[in-house]
Amino acid sequence: MLTENWFLERILFWIPLLLSLTVHEWAHAWSAYRLGDPTAEREGRLTLNPLAHMDPIGTLLVPLLAPFGWAKPVPINIGLFHSKVGMRTGVMLVAAAGPVSNICIALLSIAILVGWAFLCGSVELIPVSVYSLLNTAIWLNVLLAVFNMIPIPPLDGSRIVDALMPDRLRGIWDAFRGLGPIALAAVVVGLALGGSQWLWWPIQTVQLAVEELLQLVTR
Amino acid sequence: MSKRLKTILIWVGLIAVFFVFFSLQHGREPLGFESFETFLKNVDEDLVTSIRVHNNEITVHLVDEMPSYKTLGAVTDEITQLVSDNGGIVEWGEESHPFRTWLIIALPVLFVLLFIWYFAKRVNSTQSGIFSLGKSRARLVSNDSAITFDDVAGCDEAKEQLGDMIDFLVQPKRWTKAGARLPRGILLDGPPGCGKTLLARAVAGETKAKFYTVSASEFVELFVGVGAARVRDMFEIAAKNTPAVIFIDELDAVGRRRGSGIGAGHDEREQTLNQILVSLDGFERTDTLVVIAATNRSDILDPALMRPGRFDRHITVPPLSREARCHALEIHTRNKSLADEVSLQNLAELTDGMTGAQIESVTNEASLLAVRRARQANDTSAIIRREDLLKALEPVLAAGQSFDQLDTVLIDSMAQLARPKGRAVARITLENSSEIVGEVVWADGTFIKIHNPTDATDVIVAKQRIHSIEALPGTEMADGGHVPGQSTARETSGLA
Repeated sequence: MLTENWFLERILFWIPLLLSLTVHEWAHAWSAYRLGDPTAEREGRLTLNPLAHMDPIGTLLVPLLAPFGWAKPVPINIGLFHSKVGMRTGVMLVAAAGPVSNICIALLSIAILVGWAFLCGSVELIPVSVYSLLNTAIWLNVLLAVFNMIPIPPLDGSRIVDALMPDRLRGIWDAFRGLGPIALAAVVVGLALGGSQWLWWPIQTVQLAVEELLQLVTR
Repeated sequence: MSKRLKTILIWVGLIAVFFVFFSLQHGREPLGFESFETFLKNVDEDLVTSIRVHNNEITVHLVDEMPSYKTLGAVTDEITQLVSDNGGIVEWGEESHPFRTWLIIALPVLFVLLFIWYFAKRVNSTQSGIFSLGKSRARLVSNDSAITFDDVAGCDEAKEQLGDMIDFLVQPKRWTKAGARLPRGILLDGPPGCGKTLLARAVAGETKAKFYTVSASEFVELFVGVGAARVRDMFEIAAKNTPAVIFIDELDAVGRRRGSGIGAGHDEREQTLNQILVSLDGFERTDTLVVIAATNRSDILDPALMRPGRFDRHITVPPLSREARCHALEIHTRNKSLADEVSLQNLAELTDGMTGAQIESVTNEASLLAVRRARQANDTSAIIRREDLLKALEPVLAAGQSFDQLDTVLIDSMAQLARPKGRAVARITLENSSEIVGEVVWADGTFIKIHNPTDATDVIVAKQRIHSIEALPGTEMADGGHVPGQSTARETSGLA
């Protein structure tokens, strides 16, 4: 397992992951701060510095063993949101900010890639390393956005569902929330064992679209 | 380095690392495979620049950036001869990548170190971190809003003595050239709230020296040796940042006479004290480092602390005199708007016995009252009137009515009058209505000694027997003036 190539590949995956997770967590902190909750800012999380968001296990250890990882969750205090926003809307916006930021990175990467290709006139003229970085950024961020929107606690999607849940279904939802970590583990194992096309479908769609775009601009 | 810059550097660094690793990985793309015949053909055509032979595997590099490839076959002497005759290089054995191998070994180690560092930092950031136990808790006070002697009311004697120290910190050469050994330890002694801390800060402000402040109680920890380590750490830090002033507040917390007290449970305190003594002796004559300590219990301090070379300069910071109080009032009302009717002179009399801190609180209270009144009247500007000040004084004056308070106030006032320069003539009325008139020779916490010049007798009176005390004409004030009229420094008991 511990071969040169294995390690190089892990590092090449780890750096975009770290930066994407950083932006993801920063987006949570920033949106909470803008909505009136300074908890994350006081904890020093309102920064794009990766060190502030690193989780020693989820960001350092796990990504080197498997293509998977997580960062420290950003603390929020829903009681501190501006009164005109309201707690439910506030939680929803803050939770959505993370995946939205990942979509933004993916879009930005696509824009750079397509723009570069357009300026050069050909995809082959883009340095391979840059192409690889942007490509990793695209699929990784699409994956992060999709994965985080899965409505299972403690993922971001669960918070949005939680805020939207009508009161009569709340009992069932709360019971499900108690199962959150187990359900998440089951989903992760399930995806790893063969259901991964569910996660790959959006990535493939995006990559096909990007290729179409590249062909369009370099024609 | 600003936080923003650090963040940008980390991002740029990470992306750079990505590119470096990418090129490393890219360089390891497997080479194409060609048949042995192609290789022989290439040798004949003189296209081979170098070959590397490892067992029966041959790596072939060609001219003009033609793709390198691998092939299998037995390399004979004829072939190598042919290659080298054509200017090609023949190498044997496995190719080695020292840099890459080194990287692969070093990076996991780096990761583990990063991991450990991360946890160590987390332990450190919680206040009880074991790594920070021996670190000094001294805080560096910024010099931005520097306090100078102008901000300190009264304490003229103390200021004069401290003036030497300031000159020493500013122009150390003048003193060292003259062969003078300046006291490096100053002990400020005086009742609470008389401005000891303020004086020390003013020294730092006047000299623009680094000002480290620490409370002596912060040295003491549960573990023996920690206090001493902190003292060492503090002196080391200060010595690196000369000119510096170290201010140790409440020195009596560790400076208590050694070997006293019940039991032997004072090891930690004594070690800390020993370390302070050693550190005071330790620094060089030329070090522009001054230690100022403050206490209000100089009587219980260890004699070794007062030895020459340690805290040998002993400055008493007395309660404020009338002029000093007036000055203090001026300072504290500097940024407040006062009504014309307010006479600070008059007010100074009313604040007799008050410390600088109390005066500050009174003026602050008065301005709060003024703002409240202005708000009720929908007035924009809050001007402090005399009534505000009097109202603010009320609780303080009421406190002064209690007998114990009066005792200290009058004794201290007399001591104030008697000690610095001139003489004080007082009329003392005792509890039994008898009167004693005479010069105050000395006064302490318990007794006053009165010298009667007419019949040349000395009387010592216990303060508890005194009912009221009056300064008479002939009393010289601290600044050399005389008490005008009958009784400016008059104190009357509320019990009367």
